[in-house]
Amino acid sequence: MTDPSGTALALDAITKTFDGFRALDAAHVSVRRGEVHALLGENGAGKSSLMNVAAGLYAPDSGRILLDGTEVTIDGPLDARTHGIGMVHQHYKLVKPFNAIENILLSDPGERYGAAIDALTARVREVADELGFELDVTKPVGTLSIAEQQRVEILKVLVGGAWILILDEPTAVLTDAEGARLLETVRALAKGGHSVVLVTHKLNEAIDYCDRITVMRGGRTVDTVEAKGISQSDLTTMIVGADVHEQRAPSQSIGAPVLQVAGLRAARGDGHIAVRDANFEVRSGEIYGIAGVGGNGQTELSDALSGLTRSLAGIVTLGGTTDITDASAEERRENGLAAIPADRHSKALSGTLSVADNFAVGGVLRGRFGSWLRVRRRELEQAAGEAVEAFDVQGVRSLKQRAALLSGGNAQKLVIAREFSGSPRLIVAHSPARGLDLRASAAVHERLRSARDAGAGVLLISEDLDEILLLCDRIGVMTRGQIVAEFDAPFDRQSVGEAMIGHG
Amino acid sequence: MADETAGMAGPPKAHGLHRFRPRLEMRQTTSGLRTAAMIAAGLAVGLGLSALILVASGVRPGDLVNEFIVQIFASPKNISAVLVQAAPMIIVGLSASIAFKARFWNIGIEGQMIFGAIGATLVATFDIGPEGLRLPLMALAAALGGIAWIALPAVLKLRLGVNEIISTLLLNYVALNFLLHLLYGPWQDPVSAFPHSEQFEETERLAALGWQSLNASLIVALALTVLVTVALTASRVGYLLNFVHTNATMARAVGVPVVLLTLAAALGSGALSGLAGFTISAGIEYRMTQSFFIGYGFSGILIAFLARNNPIGATIVALFVAVLMVAGQSLQVFYQIPFAMVQLIQAIIVICVAASDFFIRHRVQWLTG
Repeated sequence: MTDPSGTALALDAITKTFDGFRALDAAHVSVRRGEVHALLGENGAGKSSLMNVAAGLYAPDSGRILLDGTEVTIDGPLDARTHGIGMVHQHYKLVKPFNAIENILLSDPGERYGAAIDALTARVREVADELGFELDVTKPVGTLSIAEQQRVEILKVLVGGAWILILDEPTAVLTDAEGARLLETVRALAKGGHSVVLVTHKLNEAIDYCDRITVMRGGRTVDTVEAKGISQSDLTTMIVGADVHEQRAPSQSIGAPVLQVAGLRAARGDGHIAVRDANFEVRSGEIYGIAGVGGNGQTELSDALSGLTRSLAGIVTLGGTTDITDASAEERRENGLAAIPADRHSKALSGTLSVADNFAVGGVLRGRFGSWLRVRRRELEQAAGEAVEAFDVQGVRSLKQRAALLSGGNAQKLVIAREFSGSPRLIVAHSPARGLDLRASAAVHERLRSARDAGAGVLLISEDLDEILLLCDRIGVMTRGQIVAEFDAPFDRQSVGEAMIGHG
Repeated sequence: MADETAGMAGPPKAHGLHRFRPRLEMRQTTSGLRTAAMIAAGLAVGLGLSALILVASGVRPGDLVNEFIVQIFASPKNISAVLVQAAPMIIVGLSASIAFKARFWNIGIEGQMIFGAIGATLVATFDIGPEGLRLPLMALAAALGGIAWIALPAVLKLRLGVNEIISTLLLNYVALNFLLHLLYGPWQDPVSAFPHSEQFEETERLAALGWQSLNASLIVALALTVLVTVALTASRVGYLLNFVHTNATMARAVGVPVVLLTLAAALGSGALSGLAGFTISAGIEYRMTQSFFIGYGFSGILIAFLARNNPIGATIVALFVAVLMVAGQSLQVFYQIPFAMVQLIQAIIVICVAASDFFIRHRVQWLTG
């Protein structure tokens, strides 16, 4: 009973409620055979929830799921697999000490290990070759790069017989080149008859690589449109319900240096020297951007400056006179440093603690909210409530709610609320808008600008050149742990881009 | 499913199996009431299973009710036995809670108890200090003994990253052998020539409270509960320890003095273990014996685990464990139930309560296929 329109998967009027919160409200989407279908929307719009229903992870409260026009119930992830639906999640579900074959085998153990592993190895190699995946299937998955791990996940789904593939923000963790390569692979899969759902909030991906686009907002489906001929601003309007357009606003007054870095050397956890001889300074009232291709020492620079790792050599001076080269994170913060790390869930928030606690820990460390003997909870919660309001942190149903329940953008706003509460002199922000939707990233950028206008120095480390060009007053390009070029505004995108790759 | 893996793309299979099966979902939030109800349910299941095992091994159901409920709660003598037993249990439970709060896995409670008792016995045997201050001095020496015995693993962990599970565990054996050396050697009781220390004098004992066998060790335990509760739930130290417990990397990044707090928690845990040794020596046995500490290390870990490192919870769980111990003793004596069976029952109850955590964090829906 094949649907005449060629619809492979249709989700119809799906409603799903979590503890009274309506994550999906009669949402619908239909995916044709052989198409790449983008699912766009802000964080919390319901994209992932809807796809989790299709993948059998969530049981919908109501609504219908149709495969090839026939209504089915999907009874868990294994059942979705027998229906030919496979999902690659944002956070990979891989056993790190196992190799690719063993991970794939784990999702369908078969009868005899020995026999199964030989057949599976051949099969995985065949599919990998078909897709042009370079992958050592005998290496432990934990030693593979993020892009390679993603390939293992995709192979797992395809070898499992999926003909409907759901990819949840697959390019968020990849470099531009890796992302483009993945999207080419996705197109090839669609050409071979697979249906692919691409959950994303990158507009250009949706327009350039997809056939049709479904936009979601607030748990509802806004519309499904053809990708051909639609403009980014039309999509933006559909996604946020209004047009968000950020503009450059250069600094009006730049003062004395607040951060001076001379000859800084810092290592990665495994001993690899990632920052070698970095020299630059950040002045009060400016946003100094560090541009560069990912993996050129940005994370290590951010960790070394915020005091998470020790510097091996060099001198770091804060506020012109204070040597903080060997200072702990506590001492750096006492001297007016604030940090917004890229990995906000592991380095900036404690997910199991409350929103109020995560906000207030900075204040408590500065001696606010009571003495050593007593933390004044009521005062603390009141301050947290005011900050949540002032920084527009949404999705806070209670200040006692766990911080992990906040969406990416709101979690970042909470981090910023805490970091800015001590009126810092220097802000080290590493990819502060990574993974955020348009509106949230515009809000984050606005906060950085207003901190700058209030006289703080801002160090913006970002792999997103657009973000750097939009926000910064000066740019340093980092390659192999060194600042290899500096640019003053107005910037020439071409020459900054060349500096990023030219010194390899 | 072999045919499924064979094809990359293929038509969907008809949905074949119609059956009744569970589906799990993570809960976003859980109310305190639900948490309490689930733990109570876990406890009930554990007790039910234990009762079945005891009945199967020959205890009559009526006797079971008699031993666990009537005998324990109707007889003042048994109530006081439970409370006396509970005092050191409470203290080791607090000790484990405070260490675990800082993610310092102190497996060396027994070693620290031994050094606590050695400290107290040193003060008692050599009559150090004026008589009026003898008991407080013994307590202080016990706390310092416990601290001394945990200091090395704590510094090794924080300085060199040496796994404290192994170092604290192995130091238990060192402590035990040093204890045996003292009791078979210089500190052997000159009166009876048995391998235990000489009896403490009246001023070196925790005072009786004038009701049954109850003595001041319970007061010490409850005072420590209040102290640890303030430290862990109301003070800045406790507030910051929550961050060390849940995400140490983040704690370090925002400027929480993680190393200092971990050291403080570890030393505090050692001090409490030492005091537990003191309450047994000065409150129950009136001397240092060669086996006073046995089982407390495991019990402390168990209590902290069941109480989720909450000091008030630890006190309640410790009372419960004491009931099990006292009832277990009479089961051994009157029904010839082996001690292993008592341990089995404890383990079953622990597993059942631990399993309730699953139902606290997940929602189970029953679906028909």
